[in-house]
Amino acid sequence: MRWRVLTLLVSLAVGAAGQELERSPFHGDETSIGVGKASFRLRCSACHGIHAEGGKGPPLNRGEFAAGNRDVDIYRVIARGVPGTEMPAYGTRNTEENIWRIVAFLRTFEAVGDERVDGNAERGEAIFWGTGGCGGCHKVGRRGASYGPDLTRIGRSRSVQHLREALLDPGKDLPAGYFVVKVVTRDGRTVSGIGSGIDDFSAQLRDASGRLHSFLREDVESIEREFTSLMPSYGESLSDQQQRDLLVYMQALRGEESR
Amino acid sequence: MNRPVWLACILLACAAAALGQVDSEALANSQQDDESWLMYGRNYSAWRYSPLDQIDTGNVGQIAPAWIFQTAESGKFQTTPLVRDGVMYVTGPSNHAWALDLKTGRELWHYSEPVPDDLTLCCGKPNRGFAILGNLLFKVNMQATLVALDATTGDVVWEVESADYRKGYSNTVAPLVVNGMVVVGIAGAEFGTRDFIDAYDAETGERRWRFWTVPGPGEPGNETWGGDSWKRGGASTWITGSYDPELNLIYWGTGNPGPDLDGAPRPGDNLYSDSMLALDADTGELRWHFQFTPHDVHDWDSVADPVLIDVEIDGQPRKALVHANRNGHFYALDRTSGEYLFARAYTEVNWADGMTSAGRPILIPGREPTDEGTLTCPGMGGGHNWHATSYSPQTGLYYFNSGDGCQIYHGATQDFVEGEFYLGSAMENVTGEPREGSILAVDPGTGDRRWRFPLVSPPTSGMLSTGGGLLFAGTLEGYFVALDAADGRLLWRLQTGGPVRAPAITYRFEGRQYVATAAGSAIIAFALPR
Ligand code: HEC
Ligand code: HEC
Repeated sequence: MRWRVLTLLVSLAVGAAGQELERSPFHGDETSIGVGKASFRLRCSACHGIHAEGGKGPPLNRGEFAAGNRDVDIYRVIARGVPGTEMPAYGTRNTEENIWRIVAFLRTFEAVGDERVDGNAERGEAIFWGTGGCGGCHKVGRRGASYGPDLTRIGRSRSVQHLREALLDPGKDLPAGYFVVKVVTRDGRTVSGIGSGIDDFSAQLRDASGRLHSFLREDVESIEREFTSLMPSYGESLSDQQQRDLLVYMQALRGEESR
Repeated sequence: MNRPVWLACILLACAAAALGQVDSEALANSQQDDESWLMYGRNYSAWRYSPLDQIDTGNVGQIAPAWIFQTAESGKFQTTPLVRDGVMYVTGPSNHAWALDLKTGRELWHYSEPVPDDLTLCCGKPNRGFAILGNLLFKVNMQATLVALDATTGDVVWEVESADYRKGYSNTVAPLVVNGMVVVGIAGAEFGTRDFIDAYDAETGERRWRFWTVPGPGEPGNETWGGDSWKRGGASTWITGSYDPELNLIYWGTGNPGPDLDGAPRPGDNLYSDSMLALDADTGELRWHFQFTPHDVHDWDSVADPVLIDVEIDGQPRKALVHANRNGHFYALDRTSGEYLFARAYTEVNWADGMTSAGRPILIPGREPTDEGTLTCPGMGGGHNWHATSYSPQTGLYYFNSGDGCQIYHGATQDFVEGEFYLGSAMENVTGEPREGSILAVDPGTGDRRWRFPLVSPPTSGMLSTGGGLLFAGTLEGYFVALDAADGRLLWRLQTGGPVRAPAITYRFEGRQYVATAAGSAIIAFALPR
């Protein structure tokens, strides 16, 4: 079998187990690619998209990887995950073969590189902290506020398509854990904000000023959970060019700023 | 013990009971034994109802923890504890088990067995409980073995392997003791296994019979599998069945055919996947079967409790078997013959437009998984999945939980590779539509819903009903609750600090009624203040 020979020739002992090869032993093998694709759909598609087109994770169908373009680089990210991000480590839950089959599937995409957006990052940065008011809700590095998600690494962890959607149609694909809680009190007041918890008897939320509130259902008129966004849509208020500038700026946010 | 029972006891020479031994008769009469909880479903009919009424709708608001036992084991804690003679026997995740002193909650012994590293699992490492006979406790381990433990010490008395875990088998089911045999199912249908129900001699561990839930060549039903797809047909048996001593029949539900979402490699109805089976308890021979979802492509296991009740249906008294299926329908069958009596949808269903007179779903076309995805309701976990249910003869209602909402089912063709998931793709949630849940009370004679208690998340716990007019259940967010069994009103709740993934049990000890449940990684026993 061809891959056995490859194993011997190119095997690259990395780490204690010495399990890592340079190249997937299943490279180009139809059956393995099919199994890899099925596994990908099962475990990875919720974040990376059913066709690996990206979403709440980066696209993996562009034939190029930030982590490196050798099979072994991709294997490592999958096995170890990316600590501090949503990307889980699969090394302890999956067999090596399983991961290598997924790698073989991911290598079936032709290299097309990142989606290029025609814009200017510097202008985008200025809009972000200026007219856009993004910094009033988001953090990049240590700067900004934390009403919405931290965007320090957003260029690496999302597809451009997802970022565009976040600007134009916020709430269409909410990041994990984001929902809005709307409470109507007995005296008719409405308190709403980002939900930090909800269950059958209570809800907790953060309002726009960052204050925490907790309510018992029995003490209020109603508690509603909504899967909508508290972020304004920028489709109207920013020009196409400004939107593109912001996208290019966000694409460049790769987590390198000081934390 | 009241006097007549005590006298009857002497007359019947129940020395075994006096020694705290559980014999076959004790198992058959478990419904009358207020001081014990002797099997998964409390009685052979799987009612999970106890007549105890010290804690009732009026005073349940005062119950409080009498003790808490911390297992310090993470993982899904799904056990039904057994109680006998002052001791509680608890199985935990990852092959752990404990015996606890009922008076204090202190540990008497701890059993554990490592889980092999190369075990392939779909759904974590839970275990659903012990079975008991004599002074032996029986439990399955994750690596598809069955062990008998000495109830006094926790020492292993015998151990057998049901199947080779390297081929994708594993086990989580609580065994059922019938006629001196330990009956167990098996799991593995996500990995292309061919599954079965086994009976082992309780004393020796020797296998007495095996029923393959996917028939082999030459056996009836094998023709419902195209080609050699039967070899990887799945039909796991991972939830405990029930037993009718009069008919001497064991009822056991089976799971999905493999690969779960891709029907192409397995043309045909795929018997006996997604079915209810009635097996002769002595021989394991099939007496009847009823298939809920022929040629399933949505992973709608039909393993949920087969509950045996005698009830009037369409004006006729029936020996019924009722079952809430993952495909969104509540069913009643005649348990003597397997005859279909009726089915009613209890949650949103968009794949079938009712049933034929024989109980075969009338399919709505275009609900099969596709590459692009198909929205189907209920979602993959159901409907009612597996969590223990309860029937209260006091209210005449049947209680079960339901996952509500739809999912997008994506298919993909994949070859079988040993040790890999053999699922044929995946499910996706519908954006902006979270999956929610409910606790439902239905009239088992008609399927009419009496009340619904809504849950913000898909349900995780089982049910317990009591003679005090109560229904106990729990939630993913860690609440343990008591509802009025008659109308579903909330009477009491406690935030336990961990998901409640198990059904509660109840028993009397030294004159007090206790209600105990697994929550998070602890066992909590509640009682009224002294
Ligand atoms: C819960 C969401 C989530 C899941 C599930 C998930 N990922 Fe990721 N993945 C991410 C995120 C977010 C990143 C980007 C991490 C970062 O900031 O560097 C990522 C990064 C990656 C990368 C590196 C991409 C690059 O360009 O370097 C690969 C490869 C990858 N994931 C593969 C997988 C595979 C294979 C699976 C399934 C076995 C999977 N992921 C499951 C969220 C997820
Ligand atoms: C009023 C507060 C607010 C403002 C102003 C705001 N956002 Fe947001 N943003 C949020 C919240 C909250 C979320 C989380 C999800 C949601 O509600 O849509 C979010 C989500 C996002 C996401 C998706 C993050 C992820 O993890 O997928 C991006 C990208 C984003 N915002 C960019 C921007 C940009 C660029 C601007 C300025 C043009 C901006 N936001 C202005 C509150 C805000």
